[in-house]
Amino acid sequence: MEQTFLAIAVLFGLGLYIILTHQNLIKIAMGIGVMESAIILLFIILSYRPGGTAPILDADAQAYDLIVDPIPQALSLTAIVIGAGTTALMLALIIKIYNRYNTLYIDEIKKLKG
Amino acid sequence: MRKFASLIIVVLLSGLLLMTFLSLSTADYDLSEHYINHGAEETKALNLVTAILFDYRAFDTLGEATVVFAVASTIAFLVPKRTASMISARFSIIMQQTTSLLIPFLFMIGAYIIAYGHISPGGGFAGGVILAVITILITVTFGIRYSDRQVRPEIKSFMESFGAMGFVLLGFIGIVLGGNFLANANSTLDLGVKGELISSGIIPHINLMTGLKVAAGLSIMFNSLIKEE
Repeated sequence: MEQTFLAIAVLFGLGLYIILTHQNLIKIAMGIGVMESAIILLFIILSYRPGGTAPILDADAQAYDLIVDPIPQALSLTAIVIGAGTTALMLALIIKIYNRYNTLYIDEIKKLKG
Repeated sequence: MRKFASLIIVVLLSGLLLMTFLSLSTADYDLSEHYINHGAEETKALNLVTAILFDYRAFDTLGEATVVFAVASTIAFLVPKRTASMISARFSIIMQQTTSLLIPFLFMIGAYIIAYGHISPGGGFAGGVILAVITILITVTFGIRYSDRQVRPEIKSFMESFGAMGFVLLGFIGIVLGGNFLANANSTLDLGVKGELISSGIIPHINLMTGLKVAAGLSIMFNSLIKEE
Protein backbone atom coordinates (compact mmCIF):
# COMPACT_ATOMS: atom_id res chain seq x y z
CA MET A 1 0.00 0.00 0.00
CA GLU A 2 2.72 2.48 1.03
CA GLN A 3 4.87 1.61 -2.00
CA THR A 4 1.91 2.22 -4.30
CA PHE A 5 1.27 5.61 -2.71
CA LEU A 6 4.95 6.44 -3.21
CA ALA A 7 4.72 5.37 -6.88
CA ILE A 8 1.62 7.54 -7.36
CA ALA A 9 3.33 10.57 -5.76
CA VAL A 10 6.44 10.03 -7.93
CA LEU A 11 4.32 9.67 -11.08
CA PHE A 12 2.36 12.82 -10.27
CA GLY A 13 5.57 14.74 -9.54
CA LEU A 14 7.08 13.50 -12.81
CA GLY A 15 4.11 14.81 -14.78
CA LEU A 16 4.28 18.16 -12.96
CA TYR A 17 8.04 18.37 -13.62
CA ILE A 18 7.48 17.76 -17.35
CA ILE A 19 4.86 20.52 -17.46
CA LEU A 20 7.08 23.00 -15.60
CA THR A 21 10.37 22.44 -17.43
CA HIS A 22 9.60 21.45 -21.01
CA GLN A 23 9.06 23.97 -23.80
CA ASN A 24 7.44 21.67 -26.35
CA LEU A 25 3.64 21.84 -26.28
CA ILE A 26 3.21 18.16 -27.20
CA LYS A 27 5.42 17.20 -24.25
CA ILE A 28 3.32 19.38 -21.94
CA ALA A 29 0.20 17.54 -23.13
CA MET A 30 2.03 14.27 -22.37
CA GLY A 31 2.85 15.53 -18.87
CA ILE A 32 -0.81 16.24 -18.21
CA GLY A 33 -1.56 12.69 -19.39
CA VAL A 34 0.97 11.27 -16.91
CA MET A 35 -0.66 13.23 -14.07
CA GLU A 36 -4.09 11.89 -15.08
CA SER A 37 -2.73 8.33 -14.98
CA ALA A 38 -1.45 8.93 -11.45
CA ILE A 39 -4.90 10.08 -10.33
CA ILE A 40 -6.60 7.04 -11.90
CA LEU A 41 -4.07 4.77 -10.17
CA LEU A 42 -4.95 6.47 -6.88
CA PHE A 43 -8.66 5.72 -7.43
CA ILE A 44 -7.88 2.07 -8.15
CA ILE A 45 -5.66 1.61 -5.07
CA LEU A 46 -8.27 3.28 -2.85
CA SER A 47 -10.92 0.81 -4.02
CA TYR A 48 -8.64 -2.20 -3.52
CA ARG A 49 -9.27 -4.64 -0.71
CA PRO A 50 -6.91 -7.59 -0.22
CA GLY A 51 -8.53 -10.75 -1.59
CA GLY A 52 -11.58 -8.97 -3.03
CA THR A 53 -13.14 -9.84 -6.40
CA ALA A 54 -14.32 -7.48 -9.14
CA PRO A 55 -17.67 -5.78 -8.40
CA ILE A 56 -19.57 -7.93 -10.90
CA LEU A 57 -21.83 -10.39 -9.15
CA ASP A 58 -23.34 -13.74 -10.08
CA ALA A 59 -27.03 -14.18 -10.85
CA ASP A 60 -27.42 -16.56 -7.88
CA ALA A 61 -27.40 -14.85 -4.47
CA GLN A 62 -24.18 -13.64 -2.84
CA ALA A 63 -21.45 -15.89 -4.21
CA TYR A 64 -18.55 -13.77 -2.98
CA ASP A 65 -17.78 -12.62 0.54
CA LEU A 66 -15.37 -9.78 -0.31
CA ILE A 67 -15.85 -7.35 -3.20
CA VAL A 68 -13.70 -4.32 -4.00
CA ASP A 69 -15.29 -0.88 -3.64
CA PRO A 70 -17.22 -0.04 -6.85
CA ILE A 71 -17.54 3.73 -6.30
CA PRO A 72 -13.90 4.71 -7.06
CA GLN A 73 -14.07 2.51 -10.15
CA ALA A 74 -17.09 4.45 -11.44
CA LEU A 75 -15.25 7.70 -10.66
CA SER A 76 -12.12 6.54 -12.47
CA LEU A 77 -14.26 5.75 -15.53
CA THR A 78 -15.42 9.36 -15.43
CA ALA A 79 -11.81 10.50 -15.07
CA ILE A 80 -10.73 8.45 -18.09
CA VAL A 81 -13.49 9.88 -20.30
CA ILE A 82 -12.81 13.48 -19.22
CA GLY A 83 -9.06 12.85 -19.68
CA ALA A 84 -9.60 11.66 -23.25
CA GLY A 85 -11.72 14.75 -23.93
CA THR A 86 -9.19 17.22 -22.54
CA THR A 87 -6.31 15.50 -24.37
CA ALA A 88 -8.17 15.69 -27.67
CA LEU A 89 -8.99 19.36 -27.07
CA MET A 90 -5.35 20.13 -26.15
CA LEU A 91 -4.11 18.46 -29.34
CA ALA A 92 -6.63 20.41 -31.45
CA LEU A 93 -5.46 23.68 -29.88
CA ILE A 94 -1.81 22.67 -30.45
CA ILE A 95 -2.61 22.07 -34.15
CA LYS A 96 -4.16 25.55 -34.28
CA ILE A 97 -1.08 27.12 -32.61
CA TYR A 98 1.28 25.30 -34.97
CA ASN A 99 -0.66 26.46 -38.02
CA ARG A 100 -0.48 30.06 -36.81
CA TYR A 101 3.09 30.32 -35.46
CA ASN A 102 4.84 27.43 -37.27
CA THR A 103 6.51 26.30 -34.04
CA LEU A 104 5.65 24.17 -31.03
CA TYR A 105 8.07 25.82 -28.56
CA ILE A 106 6.63 28.22 -26.00
CA ASP A 107 9.64 30.55 -25.81
CA GLU A 108 9.67 31.02 -29.60
CA ILE A 109 5.94 31.79 -29.57
CA LYS A 110 6.58 34.37 -26.83
CA LYS A 111 9.35 35.98 -28.93
CA LEU A 112 7.07 36.14 -31.97
CA LYS A 113 4.50 38.03 -29.93
CA GLY A 114 7.14 40.59 -28.94
CA MET B 1 18.13 27.49 -12.74
CA ARG B 2 14.58 27.08 -13.95
CA LYS B 3 14.93 23.30 -13.80
CA PHE B 4 16.36 23.43 -10.29
CA ALA B 5 13.51 25.61 -9.01
CA SER B 6 10.96 23.30 -10.67
CA LEU B 7 12.62 20.29 -9.12
CA ILE B 8 12.34 21.79 -5.62
CA ILE B 9 8.68 22.69 -6.14
CA VAL B 10 7.89 19.24 -7.50
CA VAL B 11 9.66 17.41 -4.67
CA LEU B 12 7.89 19.55 -2.06
CA LEU B 13 4.47 19.02 -3.65
CA SER B 14 5.02 15.27 -4.06
CA GLY B 15 6.06 14.99 -0.43
CA LEU B 16 2.93 16.85 0.63
CA LEU B 17 0.85 14.53 -1.59
CA LEU B 18 2.49 11.45 -0.09
CA MET B 19 1.83 12.69 3.46
CA THR B 20 -1.83 13.22 2.56
CA PHE B 21 -2.08 9.73 1.04
CA LEU B 22 -0.56 8.11 4.12
CA SER B 23 -3.02 9.86 6.41
CA LEU B 24 -6.04 8.72 4.39
CA SER B 25 -8.33 6.50 6.41
CA THR B 26 -8.95 3.05 4.98
CA ALA B 27 -12.07 2.44 7.02
CA ASP B 28 -15.11 0.84 5.44
CA TYR B 29 -17.61 3.29 4.04
CA ASP B 30 -21.33 2.91 4.64
CA LEU B 31 -22.29 3.93 1.10
CA SER B 32 -19.99 1.35 -0.54
CA GLU B 33 -21.30 -1.33 1.81
CA HIS B 34 -24.87 -0.44 0.83
CA TYR B 35 -24.05 -0.59 -2.89
CA ILE B 36 -22.26 -3.93 -2.53
CA ASN B 37 -24.91 -5.58 -0.35
CA HIS B 38 -28.12 -4.17 -1.86
CA GLY B 39 -27.07 -2.67 -5.22
CA ALA B 40 -27.76 -5.77 -7.30
CA GLU B 41 -31.14 -6.30 -5.61
CA GLU B 42 -32.26 -2.70 -5.98
CA THR B 43 -31.25 -2.10 -9.59
CA LYS B 44 -31.24 -5.71 -10.89
CA ALA B 45 -27.92 -4.96 -12.61
CA LEU B 46 -25.17 -7.46 -11.81
CA ASN B 47 -22.37 -5.09 -12.79
CA LEU B 48 -22.20 -2.79 -9.79
CA VAL B 49 -20.10 -0.16 -11.58
CA THR B 50 -22.81 0.12 -14.24
CA ALA B 51 -25.45 0.24 -11.52
CA ILE B 52 -23.68 3.21 -9.91
CA LEU B 53 -22.95 4.96 -13.22
CA PHE B 54 -26.37 4.65 -14.81
CA ASP B 55 -28.72 4.44 -11.86
CA TYR B 56 -27.51 5.93 -8.57
CA ARG B 57 -25.36 8.58 -10.24
CA ALA B 58 -26.95 8.75 -13.70
CA PHE B 59 -27.09 12.52 -13.53
CA ASP B 60 -23.28 12.66 -13.20
CA THR B 61 -23.00 10.39 -16.22
CA LEU B 62 -25.26 12.73 -18.19
CA GLY B 63 -22.78 15.52 -17.46
CA GLU B 64 -19.90 13.25 -18.45
CA ALA B 65 -21.57 12.39 -21.75
CA THR B 66 -22.16 16.10 -22.31
CA VAL B 67 -18.39 16.66 -21.97
CA VAL B 68 -17.76 14.18 -24.82
CA PHE B 69 -20.42 15.96 -26.88
CA ALA B 70 -18.92 19.39 -26.16
CA VAL B 71 -15.38 18.26 -26.98
CA ALA B 72 -16.45 16.69 -30.28
CA SER B 73 -18.35 19.84 -31.29
CA THR B 74 -15.47 22.13 -30.26
CA ILE B 75 -12.85 20.11 -32.14
CA ALA B 76 -14.97 19.91 -35.28
CA PHE B 77 -15.33 23.71 -35.02
CA LEU B 78 -11.68 24.49 -34.14
CA VAL B 79 -9.78 22.43 -36.68
CA PRO B 80 -10.14 23.52 -40.33
CA LYS B 81 -12.48 21.39 -42.38
CA ARG B 82 -10.38 20.84 -45.48
CA THR B 83 -10.36 17.33 -46.90
CA ALA B 84 -6.62 16.94 -47.55
CA SER B 85 -5.30 13.80 -45.89
CA MET B 86 -2.50 14.00 -43.36
CA ILE B 87 -1.59 10.37 -43.96
CA SER B 88 -0.36 10.21 -47.54
CA ALA B 89 1.36 6.81 -47.31
CA ARG B 90 -0.58 4.01 -48.97
CA PHE B 91 -0.67 0.75 -47.08
CA SER B 92 -0.10 -2.61 -48.74
CA ILE B 93 -2.92 -4.93 -49.71
CA ILE B 94 -2.20 -7.12 -46.65
CA MET B 95 -3.08 -4.24 -44.31
CA GLN B 96 -6.19 -3.35 -46.30
CA GLN B 97 -7.49 -6.94 -46.42
CA THR B 98 -6.79 -7.48 -42.72
CA THR B 99 -8.68 -4.33 -41.82
CA SER B 100 -11.65 -5.37 -43.94
CA LEU B 101 -11.63 -8.78 -42.30
CA LEU B 102 -11.45 -7.34 -38.78
CA ILE B 103 -14.30 -4.84 -39.05
CA PRO B 104 -17.29 -7.24 -38.63
CA PHE B 105 -15.69 -8.81 -35.56
CA LEU B 106 -14.92 -5.42 -34.05
CA PHE B 107 -18.53 -4.37 -34.61
CA MET B 108 -19.71 -7.61 -33.00
CA ILE B 109 -17.62 -7.21 -29.83
CA GLY B 110 -18.51 -3.52 -29.55
CA ALA B 111 -22.23 -4.25 -29.81
CA TYR B 112 -21.87 -7.14 -27.31
CA ILE B 113 -20.05 -5.01 -24.75
CA ILE B 114 -22.70 -2.27 -25.02
CA ALA B 115 -25.68 -4.66 -24.87
CA TYR B 116 -24.36 -6.71 -21.94
CA GLY B 117 -23.06 -3.72 -20.01
CA HIS B 118 -25.35 -4.36 -17.03
CA ILE B 119 -24.55 -8.08 -16.75
CA SER B 120 -20.88 -8.49 -17.57
CA PRO B 121 -17.87 -6.11 -17.62
CA GLY B 122 -18.23 -3.30 -20.11
CA GLY B 123 -20.85 -0.68 -20.83
CA GLY B 124 -21.60 2.23 -23.08
CA PHE B 125 -18.25 3.96 -22.78
CA ALA B 126 -16.02 0.93 -23.41
CA GLY B 127 -18.19 -0.44 -26.22
CA GLY B 128 -18.47 2.98 -27.83
CA VAL B 129 -14.69 3.30 -27.95
CA ILE B 130 -14.46 -0.11 -29.69
CA LEU B 131 -17.06 1.01 -32.26
CA ALA B 132 -15.10 4.23 -32.82
CA VAL B 133 -11.97 2.15 -33.50
CA ILE B 134 -13.72 0.81 -36.65
CA THR B 135 -13.90 4.23 -38.31
CA ILE B 136 -10.42 5.12 -37.02
CA LEU B 137 -9.02 1.95 -38.64
CA ILE B 138 -10.80 2.75 -41.92
CA THR B 139 -9.39 6.29 -41.84
CA VAL B 140 -5.83 5.14 -41.10
CA THR B 141 -5.84 2.35 -43.69
CA PHE B 142 -7.85 3.72 -46.61
CA GLY B 143 -7.54 7.47 -46.11
CA ILE B 144 -9.97 10.06 -44.85
CA ARG B 145 -11.84 10.55 -48.13
CA TYR B 146 -12.88 6.89 -48.29
CA SER B 147 -13.75 6.91 -44.60
CA ASP B 148 -15.99 9.94 -44.98
CA ARG B 149 -17.68 8.30 -47.97
CA GLN B 150 -18.33 5.03 -46.10
CA VAL B 151 -19.53 6.60 -42.83
CA ARG B 152 -20.76 10.06 -43.73
CA PRO B 153 -20.13 12.87 -41.22
CA GLU B 154 -23.86 13.71 -41.28
CA ILE B 155 -24.68 10.20 -40.06
CA LYS B 156 -22.11 10.52 -37.27
CA SER B 157 -23.43 13.86 -36.08
CA PHE B 158 -26.98 12.47 -36.24
CA MET B 159 -25.88 9.49 -34.11
CA GLU B 160 -24.26 11.77 -31.59
CA SER B 161 -27.30 14.05 -31.30
CA PHE B 162 -29.59 11.00 -31.14
CA GLY B 163 -27.56 9.59 -28.25
CA ALA B 164 -27.60 12.87 -26.35
CA MET B 165 -31.34 13.44 -26.84
CA GLY B 166 -32.15 9.80 -26.11
CA PHE B 167 -30.29 9.94 -22.79
CA VAL B 168 -32.24 13.03 -21.70
CA LEU B 169 -35.60 11.68 -22.95
CA LEU B 170 -35.05 8.35 -21.15
CA GLY B 171 -34.45 10.36 -18.02
CA PHE B 172 -38.03 11.66 -18.19
CA ILE B 173 -39.35 8.09 -17.78
CA GLY B 174 -38.27 8.40 -14.15
CA ILE B 175 -40.37 11.55 -13.69
CA VAL B 176 -43.42 10.02 -15.38
CA LEU B 177 -43.21 6.91 -13.17
CA GLY B 178 -43.07 8.84 -9.93
CA GLY B 179 -39.42 9.45 -9.19
CA ASN B 180 -36.72 12.00 -9.89
CA PHE B 181 -35.09 12.75 -13.22
CA LEU B 182 -33.24 9.60 -14.38
CA ALA B 183 -34.65 7.58 -11.48
CA ASN B 184 -34.67 3.85 -12.13
CA ALA B 185 -34.70 1.80 -8.94
CA ASN B 186 -36.46 4.66 -7.14
CA SER B 187 -39.39 4.80 -9.57
CA THR B 188 -42.19 2.29 -10.03
CA LEU B 189 -40.61 0.91 -13.20
CA ASP B 190 -40.78 -2.89 -13.65
CA LEU B 191 -37.12 -3.91 -13.41
CA GLY B 192 -37.46 -7.53 -14.56
CA VAL B 193 -35.37 -10.52 -13.47
CA LYS B 194 -31.79 -10.07 -12.33
CA GLY B 195 -29.26 -11.39 -14.85
CA GLU B 196 -31.46 -11.33 -17.99
CA LEU B 197 -30.60 -9.26 -21.06
CA ILE B 198 -33.82 -7.19 -20.93
CA SER B 199 -33.81 -6.23 -17.28
CA SER B 200 -32.87 -3.47 -14.83
CA GLY B 201 -35.20 -0.86 -16.32
CA ILE B 202 -33.65 1.95 -18.34
CA ILE B 203 -29.99 0.97 -17.70
CA PRO B 204 -29.46 -1.02 -20.97
CA HIS B 205 -31.19 1.72 -22.98
CA ILE B 206 -29.03 4.45 -21.46
CA ASN B 207 -26.01 2.22 -22.14
CA LEU B 208 -26.99 2.00 -25.81
CA MET B 209 -27.45 5.78 -26.07
CA THR B 210 -24.08 6.41 -24.40
CA GLY B 211 -22.41 3.88 -26.69
CA LEU B 212 -23.79 5.56 -29.83
CA LYS B 213 -22.75 8.96 -28.55
CA VAL B 214 -19.21 7.97 -27.56
CA ALA B 215 -18.65 6.05 -30.82
CA ALA B 216 -19.81 8.97 -32.96
CA GLY B 217 -18.05 11.56 -30.81
CA LEU B 218 -14.67 9.82 -30.83
CA SER B 219 -14.71 9.16 -34.57
CA ILE B 220 -15.67 12.82 -35.20
CA MET B 221 -12.76 13.88 -32.95
CA PHE B 222 -10.24 11.65 -34.73
CA ASN B 223 -11.37 12.57 -38.24
CA SER B 224 -11.28 16.27 -37.36
CA LEU B 225 -7.78 16.04 -35.85
CA ILE B 226 -6.33 14.15 -38.81
CA LYS B 227 -7.43 16.78 -41.35
CA GLU B 228 -5.13 19.64 -42.25
CA GLU B 229 -5.11 22.66 -44.51
